[in-house]
Amino acid sequence: MTLTIAVPSKGRLKEKTLEVFSAAGFDIEPPVDARSYQTRVTGRNDIEIAFLSASEIARELAAGSVHLGVTGEDLARETIHNTDDVVDFVAPLGFGHADVVVAVPDAWIDVDTMADLDDVAATYRATCGRRLRVATKYWQLTQAFFRHHGIGVYRIVESLGATEGAPAAGSADAIVDITSTGSTIKANNLKILEDGIILKSQANLIASKRAGWDAADRQTMDEISKALNV
Amino acid sequence: MPDTLLAHLRSVAPVVAAIPYLQPADPFLETAGEDMRRRIYLTETANGELRCIRPEFTIPICLDYLKNHSQPRRISYGGAVFQQGRKDNTEFNQAGLEDLGNTDSIAADVACMADMLDALARCGLNNVVVTLGQQQVFQVVVAGLELPPTLAQRLMRNFGAPQQLSAQISAMEDGRGPEIAVEDEDTLIERVEVMMKSAGLSPRAGRSPRDIAARMRQKAQEARFSLSAERADILRRYLAIEAPLDEVSGQLERFAKSSGLAFGPALQNLETSLQQLRARDVEVDQLMFKASFGRKLDYYTGLLFEARVDGFEHAVAGGGRYDRLCTLLGSKVPVPAVGFSISCDRVLEAGGSV
Repeated sequence: MTLTIAVPSKGRLKEKTLEVFSAAGFDIEPPVDARSYQTRVTGRNDIEIAFLSASEIARELAAGSVHLGVTGEDLARETIHNTDDVVDFVAPLGFGHADVVVAVPDAWIDVDTMADLDDVAATYRATCGRRLRVATKYWQLTQAFFRHHGIGVYRIVESLGATEGAPAAGSADAIVDITSTGSTIKANNLKILEDGIILKSQANLIASKRAGWDAADRQTMDEISKALNV
Repeated sequence: MPDTLLAHLRSVAPVVAAIPYLQPADPFLETAGEDMRRRIYLTETANGELRCIRPEFTIPICLDYLKNHSQPRRISYGGAVFQQGRKDNTEFNQAGLEDLGNTDSIAADVACMADMLDALARCGLNNVVVTLGQQQVFQVVVAGLELPPTLAQRLMRNFGAPQQLSAQISAMEDGRGPEIAVEDEDTLIERVEVMMKSAGLSPRAGRSPRDIAARMRQKAQEARFSLSAERADILRRYLAIEAPLDEVSGQLERFAKSSGLAFGPALQNLETSLQQLRARDVEVDQLMFKASFGRKLDYYTGLLFEARVDGFEHAVAGGGRYDRLCTLLGSKVPVPAVGFSISCDRVLEAGGSV
């Protein structure tokens, strides 16, 4: 059988993936035809490469239509329901570092922790006439994290563009967003809560438990994960 | 939906609710919180308004009551509900009753529990055990401990979540954080105003500089607090109380004496309920008071209960007093409210019939 690996199709994630795989002795060839998304690894007829967008990779892993995929842990955990039942995080790849964090306005000088946010959320309706609103594109991660901290009464507002601008735009009070250096958050006069790091994410080699695996596929995966050596 | 159970409920609650399958989702999300989103089936209208498929009856019944009624009403209901969070049946029948607007809370609570037990008996379940909780009694205990207000509110919020509650009690015991130095109120307000302005935050859109300054000062005041071992023990001992309803008064009196707390009218109310339950031929030794029993939703305000059949995992019915719900749904005046719902699939599992 052929082992299918989904690899990011553009940007820095693509470059870093090709680099890491190449260093491990797996040279991913550019597609023969510029319009094609399928390619191969030099000298390996048992491996097939599919170039996909990072969020598509998470969906394909969930569906089991690829064996392995390279994407951020944040996207995998956000997109795939019951993540750990569906996929294995085989190896962190050492790039694409980003944290998913809870941030509130700097001006909320009284709020430093999730417990503070819990107090504020609980009385929001009484003081402000509505529930606390959190802007995010990470619905699943936000709900799970807030529930873990006992916060139930708040509303998520979907954010499609620049989440960190939501408080100033008046569309939300707090945000859950991704950040690598924290500088965008700071620039928007927001601060990350002390215990508000939901996930320290990076690019991962991820295996789908739902794909059809035979003994040869498993052996190839072991070979790759050993060679990646991260 | 089976007719016999509905007919019985109708005989004690003559107003029959007509609740469409498709409901606006916002009232559910606003009152029960964002967590509700995982439990309901959501859909959207063509212009992007959120709808859900009827996940339960209480909220739509309250909305209908606020719109169409002004007098106290007992409303019965029954039909299919849809809950995504359930592991097995995500579509099942629910039947029950809501008692809205009755200011005699004790009488309404008693009638509600007695009606639930009658209804379950009609389903062939004569052997149910009811667990009772009373949020108001817990509130009396918390008030008696004279805690800083934020911590007291946090305890009340965690009522019904045993792990979070016990974690909070331990945290308060370890207590005493570093001292927080704060400026006087005016200086704080001014500082926050400047920060909000430079961040482009409207002082009227959400928390105001005054709200923030007030909480900051309160936080500083409370930072040095720690709960004495003696008072932590009082809380833990209270939460451990579990007894048949007819023995609770005695237990609570002994607890009050040993802890120096006064229950006042709360004990008297328990006694009155007990007498009224007996008058309705309820076997009160089937009612187990459990001090820690509660639900983590901020619209429940008093009595809570749940009925089980021995040996079965799921409760067959449950209910409670939710005086805050109608206010959350937009009512200008508070509407006293109590109700119960029976899960027909659980009744069948437990050997009953509906």
